Amino acid sequence: MKKTCSSIALLLLPLLVLAEVNVRGTVLDRITEEPIAGASLIIKGSNGKIKKFSTSKPDGTFSISVPSVNGCRLEVAMMSYVKKSLPLDSVSFPLSVSLEPGGIKLKEVAVKADRIREQGDTITYNVGAFAQTQDRSIGDVLKRMPGIDVNKQGKIQYQGEDINKFYIEGSDLLGGKYGIATNGINHEDVGAVEVMENHQPMQVLSGISFSDKAAINLKLKEKAKATWSYHGNVGGGYSWQPEGALWDGEVFVMAVLPSFQHITTLRTNNTGVNLSATDFFASGRSTGLSQYVGVSLPSVPSLSRRRTLMNRSLIVSTNNLKKLKSGEFKANIDYSYNRTESSADNITTYFLDEGNRIVTENRFGKQYTNSLSGKFIYELNAKTAYINNTLKTSIDWDKVGLRTSGSIPNEQSVKLPDYYVSNHFRMIKRFKGKHLVTFESRNEWESLPQTLNLSMGEQTFREHIGDHAFFTDESASYAFTLKGVTIGLDGGIKAYFRSMNSELPDLPAELPGLTHNVVSTDYATLYVRPHLEYWVKRVNLNLMLPVSFSRYTFDKAIANHNETYFSPSLSVNWKPNNRFSGTLRGSLGRSPMSLRLIHPGLIMTDYRTFNAGVDNFYNSSSQSASANLSYKHTRHGLFANCVVSHSWNHIPYTMSQQLFGDYAVYSYSDAKNDGKSLSAMANMGKTLDFMRGGINLNGSFNRSESNLISQQKAVRSVSTGWGMGCKLSGSPVRWLSFDVSSHFSESRLTMNAESQSWLSSMTNELSLTIIPFRKWEWTIEGEHYRNELIENSYKNMVLLDTKISFRPSKRIEVSANLSNIINKKTYSYISYSQLSSFESLRYIRGRELLLTITLRK
Amino acid sequence: MRRTLFLTAIAVTLAVSAQKKADIEVSYDYHYPTSNRIDNMRLLGNSEGSAYFNNSSLWLDSLLSTPGGKAKYNEIVNTFTTVENGYKVISMPNDYIKTIHTYIFNNPAENMLTVYDNWSENQGYYTEPYSEQVWEIVPDSTCNILNYECILAESDYHGRHWKAWFTPEIPMQYGPWKLHGLPGLILKAEAPGGFMFIATGLASTTRKVPTMFMSDKYTKVSRLKILKEDEQIKNNQASMMAASSNNKVKITYHDENGNVVEPPKYDGLIENLEPDYKQK
Repeated sequence: MKKTCSSIALLLLPLLVLAEVNVRGTVLDRITEEPIAGASLIIKGSNGKIKKFSTSKPDGTFSISVPSVNGCRLEVAMMSYVKKSLPLDSVSFPLSVSLEPGGIKLKEVAVKADRIREQGDTITYNVGAFAQTQDRSIGDVLKRMPGIDVNKQGKIQYQGEDINKFYIEGSDLLGGKYGIATNGINHEDVGAVEVMENHQPMQVLSGISFSDKAAINLKLKEKAKATWSYHGNVGGGYSWQPEGALWDGEVFVMAVLPSFQHITTLRTNNTGVNLSATDFFASGRSTGLSQYVGVSLPSVPSLSRRRTLMNRSLIVSTNNLKKLKSGEFKANIDYSYNRTESSADNITTYFLDEGNRIVTENRFGKQYTNSLSGKFIYELNAKTAYINNTLKTSIDWDKVGLRTSGSIPNEQSVKLPDYYVSNHFRMIKRFKGKHLVTFESRNEWESLPQTLNLSMGEQTFREHIGDHAFFTDESASYAFTLKGVTIGLDGGIKAYFRSMNSELPDLPAELPGLTHNVVSTDYATLYVRPHLEYWVKRVNLNLMLPVSFSRYTFDKAIANHNETYFSPSLSVNWKPNNRFSGTLRGSLGRSPMSLRLIHPGLIMTDYRTFNAGVDNFYNSSSQSASANLSYKHTRHGLFANCVVSHSWNHIPYTMSQQLFGDYAVYSYSDAKNDGKSLSAMANMGKTLDFMRGGINLNGSFNRSESNLISQQKAVRSVSTGWGMGCKLSGSPVRWLSFDVSSHFSESRLTMNAESQSWLSSMTNELSLTIIPFRKWEWTIEGEHYRNELIENSYKNMVLLDTKISFRPSKRIEVSANLSNIINKKTYSYISYSQLSSFESLRYIRGRELLLTITLRK
Repeated sequence: MRRTLFLTAIAVTLAVSAQKKADIEVSYDYHYPTSNRIDNMRLLGNSEGSAYFNNSSLWLDSLLSTPGGKAKYNEIVNTFTTVENGYKVISMPNDYIKTIHTYIFNNPAENMLTVYDNWSENQGYYTEPYSEQVWEIVPDSTCNILNYECILAESDYHGRHWKAWFTPEIPMQYGPWKLHGLPGLILKAEAPGGFMFIATGLASTTRKVPTMFMSDKYTKVSRLKILKEDEQIKNNQASMMAASSNNKVKITYHDENGNVVEPPKYDGLIENLEPDYKQK
């Protein structure tokens, strides 16, 4: 049938051709009258649709056959010429079409790499495509990349999980203190940010041990490599509250050479920016010491930190990495100083018949923290061997002074120095590709003396606590891998020696109890940790079965104990393709209470609170389960992840409070204390390429429930909260860029089925940057807070800032910054009851003018 | 005056060995059908012709085509060479290694295109007449790419059915890869099986349309023959190596756990842009 049809068509073809019109002619340059080759010719029907097309030949001629030219137009176009369109109804052929030289204006879309691209397990973000004019450091740009989240402290997460390494050009110079780089490195020096998914930092474990964490690598631009680069700024100004001079200065020096890396930074300010180098990879210290004394500054309202922090801060950090013949050596030394002030006033007015009675309480505190730390690392990271020795030392000396006026006027001053040294050695060797042998040794020592001086009227008290601990952990392990299964066993011994003494010369007369402690809490633990890992296709399964036996000795403070602990955990990761990844985790376990709770005598924690120790040794148990899903589509710039986790815990004791006059004593007693908590979080980020921007949506929910049965009284409390937020940024036109964010949350507490009302809090932020002229930049920023303090009573607050900067050249920038323009000085709220009113007053940073000059090489 | 200018222009054109300024530079991404690999390619074009290539490859070839450049390249290699445990280790960034060998030149005056490539270590070139692609415009199918209104056209070509979106707003008959011949630049093209080219950037440029560097090193080949040979070599590398070395060299393939596995099979019907060499 088909054949017949085509045969008929073939027979009819000559007839059709006869009826066709031959549109022919020549295309010429109107000025030179030279023929134009390669011009595009389109015949469009009366409906504007393309009927036929062709191109002009080298001699400029063309010839197109169409059935009819009724209502048709011929469009002739060529790059560098003005397009011509002519009706074909009333023309005779051959045509002579002359084109006028002129431009076809291209709607340019920069010819460059994609904003995000993916190759294997590496996702590359093009920094230039995410940076906006007002951004300075690479940290500012990281915040705009979908899938990457930088929290207020500077910690980086990728798809909801903390990163496990931060590299600069493939070298791990800063360890967990990568905040120095994200705050310091100019984004213009960075070409791309690479995220390496499932990053296993130890090459010796590659293919053997799965990692569900990602690492970040900064790829520098050529101009920033193999050279020393530095930049710095000096700023000075005036603040209306706290009244006085303002300063802000920074020097940043960096060298990224093939066998040597260096970063030194010095920063100082009193403009509300806290400066301390936090180690985001630090695991907790095994010395287990923490302060008994709990004197802290008055809390600040829930506003952004830079609005409330009255500080003087300084940080100096120097970091060096030298690549040796085999391995590398690193030295990181930091010193930081922070002085913080905070004050709070509470005014209670009692409405009485004989007139109002006003009671005020004022608290004013100053805190000094000094910290000097050094970290020295040798590391060899090769395919068959891994050696790492890390020596860490840190000295902190903190001082807090707090003056309280009111019903118990007093002055407290606390000295809290801390001395810590640790050494961690690890060696892993891989034999014949399948066998792994590991030796590990960890030793830590810490001393945490605490002194509390208290003066109340004529009386003075002084409490001194000495607390020292030494911890050692020596282990060896063997693992082998066969056809995707890795079986490992490690065993070792841990020992812990701690001694604590405290003395309180005079106890207020009302209080019963001992005034001094001499305690030692030691243990020795033997442990084995069998572990199994199974890789099949795209599933990884990981099972850990640690068992340990511990002997606790307490030098008569409480009875000695022998305990056995078993805490198995299982995780399963499934990655069916590059876009999707899911992980399920579950664990259960039993753990001992904190040994610092063991002390027969009372310890004063602040001017009116005392702690009594436990009488028994307690173990708590817990179970947890979590699920984590993540999805990405890099070509569409879409990243999404969600986490749901549930945990149950059972603690056989509870804290109880007894009041003796104005004093409170906290102690521990047997109780059935069961709790469970559920939390869920979802996050979605998407690039909005049409305006060089992005959008981020997030939501969270949490519910925790605890059931406490203590002294025949049952208390069931449930706290529920949820929140959602949205961030949008972009640069729709060359002269304007913006960032908008909004966050809303609500929470409620229910005690024994009696619900309090939902209380909400909302934060909105807007930042607009306008480029009125070349080299000039004007930013306007606003924050709006709406906090519900008691039901249906809202505290609203608006804060506005502005900044103008001028960049005469790439090397220099001069800027003027005026923050808190309307000069709001306090954050206060009043709540009323029938017989009284309560006013709380907190101070915030007032109007500030800061002039800054920035220089960079 | 105008004439003098014109003559000067001719002189300059001759001086730069027939390279002429391009009217447009387009960046295309080629998405591979069976993996996540994406190659970034460039098109530089003007009325006289076009070149389609990878930027890093062009830079490397231009460098290596002169003795001074070769020395410079050796210098670059040296800066990335370290000695570890007595072994010389070269860890070159990808930008300095030629991984994409394809160059395609359009010559509208002669109605043909020329392809230079490297098939299993054989450097070769062939020409192809324009008549092998016959496009049919699909009425009422439009889409917007990089802010350009595009029209859909379809063509069967060397064993695959291609859908191409072109924009009459840019009157150039070129496109990604060997695709050409529509009354406007092709900004996107797709074929079943996961083959896709998409434009990711577009701008006017001061660059010249390059000609082939070291073209004398390429021998003329027949397309169907070389593609057939290429697949044969890809699938028999181990045995060919063993044969040519008297069984002294043995190639084995390992998976991520170190187990010996079958060598990956290359199937042109799935992976090759032009599988017509396999179709009878």
